[in-house]
Amino acid sequence: MVKKKSSKWIILVLIILAAFISIFPFLWMVSTSFMSEDVIFSLPIQLWPNKLFKAGMWENYKTVISKYSFGLYTWNSFLISFLAALGQIVVCPMASFAFAKMRFPGRRWIYALLLMTLMIPVQVIIIPEYYLMMKLGWINTFLPLIIPSFLSGALGTFMFISVFEAIPSAMFDAAVIDGASAYKILWRVYFPQATASVATLFIIGFMNNWNDLLRPLLYLNKAKLYTVTIGLTRFQTEYTSSWALLLTASVLSVLPLIIVYIFCQRYIIENQMSAGVKG
Amino acid sequence: MAEKQKFKWHSWATPYILIFPTLIGLFVFRLIPIVSSFVLSFSNWNLIKDPVFNGLENYKELFSDPDFWVILGNTLKITVGYVVGGMVFGLLLALLVNNKIRGMNFFRAAIYMPVITSSVAVGIVWLRILGPKYGILDYLLKMVGITAPYWLQDPKIALWTVTFVQVWKMSGYYMILFLAGLQSISTDVIEASVVDGASPRQRLFRVIIPMLSPTTFFVFTVAIMDAFKNFELIYAMTKGGPQNATNTLVYSVYVNAFSYFRVGYAETIAWVLMAVVGSLTLVNFYVKKYWAQPLE
Repeated sequence: MVKKKSSKWIILVLIILAAFISIFPFLWMVSTSFMSEDVIFSLPIQLWPNKLFKAGMWENYKTVISKYSFGLYTWNSFLISFLAALGQIVVCPMASFAFAKMRFPGRRWIYALLLMTLMIPVQVIIIPEYYLMMKLGWINTFLPLIIPSFLSGALGTFMFISVFEAIPSAMFDAAVIDGASAYKILWRVYFPQATASVATLFIIGFMNNWNDLLRPLLYLNKAKLYTVTIGLTRFQTEYTSSWALLLTASVLSVLPLIIVYIFCQRYIIENQMSAGVKG
Repeated sequence: MAEKQKFKWHSWATPYILIFPTLIGLFVFRLIPIVSSFVLSFSNWNLIKDPVFNGLENYKELFSDPDFWVILGNTLKITVGYVVGGMVFGLLLALLVNNKIRGMNFFRAAIYMPVITSSVAVGIVWLRILGPKYGILDYLLKMVGITAPYWLQDPKIALWTVTFVQVWKMSGYYMILFLAGLQSISTDVIEASVVDGASPRQRLFRVIIPMLSPTTFFVFTVAIMDAFKNFELIYAMTKGGPQNATNTLVYSVYVNAFSYFRVGYAETIAWVLMAVVGSLTLVNFYVKKYWAQPLE
């Protein structure tokens, strides 16, 4: 599309600038995590971390992990996010298969209600949800953060409806003629055909739960149950004076997701692109 | 498709078994809470004692509270700033990364990265970047002779600073959505416009942008819904301050319910939020009926 050579250079410069602005805060975060407190509060500003490749370079990390139990918080976040994502890849394909392949009374109504609830801000429903969890005695357990993922997932359901509708009907017909049950067709024919979408939904579910703040904040009030996001906010309110430790904790909180992202970015970005085309 | 089947390949109960968990979730975690929060918005409640219904008292108190109007105004400002900012940057970035340049996948992935990281970590690192004196932004501005304002301490600026950080975080998402739209425009149309002698500017405004409009509506809907997801960032960056300058409806619901334990009052605010979101989506639905594909 680009004709002139000079405009191609301008575009390249702009793209590099945009990419730089997007990742600079993360570089700055990592850089600060290898600084000592006096370097952070010194002028002129140091970009290069003073402790990097020197004795005691991992000091901030050691403090955050052992003294402020970020290792435990990371494990809690991992456990919650993994189980919640697992719930999504079980419950969403089931509902989608019924919506995409079966006709039953109430189908349109239920679909419309699911679509409607997508737009409801979480703040509208969170108080009754909290009350329910309180009555169930689930406060200070991981259950309020995991069980709902096994029971609902409007976004994942919509995603799988279109994936299942795109699977050639010849496969469906063959399975029906062979006399396979509906469950067999779902789990043995349709589910394996949708591996890429299953992986994508798992990753998205994992990330959303990993990054969630509101629900962990409400449901987990004991330090040994904290997720990384609450750990980070508690750390921030109690130790704001220590930027080095705060940003070290931030690095630890985003690192697992960034590693997953580096390996799976193609899936994630392609999934978002197909969502865009549908509109 | 299934109607054409001459025989039943599943029993009448099968679809209900398959949607059973979703149905439970829909009622227990969505519909019942929505109805109860509406009912509770007419009550005085602290989560522990039984709610005492007090008619329109909460609504009267809310609408006569000057702070509420500030908070509502902030919410609308953030929404407009976020939707406009997110869509403009999203489109510009999409136009940029739609070019064929070696290593483009890397650049796209880099620009998308803030989208997947937690708002809390993003908020904290921006606190450091925007910090007075030792923050890098103030430092750079000082080098070119500009005295930076207090980004988060000045009540006139703080709201826009938070909006900017949210736009920075999410632009990559809208970039990808716009990019998908751009790539679905047939190259024939664009080549035809080149043959007809359209200038690059005409090509953009007369061909590309009009042909992109289905995507634009989709992005608009998504951005409006995302605009209300600012709780995490505000919690991490400002806690609604200074003096309510960055307080929004979503943040205010949380504070009233879980810090002041004025739960009924919080539900009243939640339902004002619901009315705002509802009317915005209604407007959008008039323009475009369904963005999730309708069932045949």
